[in-house]
Amino acid sequence: MFLARIEGTVVATARHSSLQGCRFLVARRLELDGAAAAEPNVIVDWMGAALGSIVMVSTDGDIARERFGNNTPARMVVAGLVDSVQQPPAEGSAA
Amino acid sequence: MRLGIVRGHITLTPAVESFNSRTLAILEPVTMENLRAKNGQGGGKALIAIDELGAATGQMVAFTEGREASNPFYPTPVPVDAYLALIVDSVDIVQQIF
Repeated sequence: MFLARIEGTVVATARHSSLQGCRFLVARRLELDGAAAAEPNVIVDWMGAALGSIVMVSTDGDIARERFGNNTPARMVVAGLVDSVQQPPAEGSAA
Repeated sequence: MRLGIVRGHITLTPAVESFNSRTLAILEPVTMENLRAKNGQGGGKALIAIDELGAATGQMVAFTEGREASNPFYPTPVPVDAYLALIVDSVDIVQQIF
């Protein structure tokens, strides 16, 4: 599981049959310092994550299989919308 | 899933049985920079995925990797580690992160 920022949406008509009606988002994995990964991920969302928001992504396909059936290729799903992150200030930072 | 651009297709003769009459697409993963620039370039390390949707060369697709890539063939065990799950029509990217 990791934190990711939602940076866009994907429109796809041709898709695997188990994924009809799914919402797909473009998300970038976040590092401890807030830096975003160079390569984006496409994730499935049914919680209504907003563009620009931070979510927790699960890379375990079990959540997707439970919802879309054993044949689904979906893997990365939004496991929750992040309210807040508690983190001590980074070492050496002024704060 | 990751985003990729179809760069070609592969035929195997001979191949392991589970790959007979399957379409194999060569994909180039797309980086955020190129996705934002909409320059039609990828930038990632090329890989091969099973394609059951019939994506054409040059189209953008999304593909799953890992164990989930073989789920569509469940319960048959197949040696697939990348599966083309979506043909992308369009991607809307927020230009400014707030």
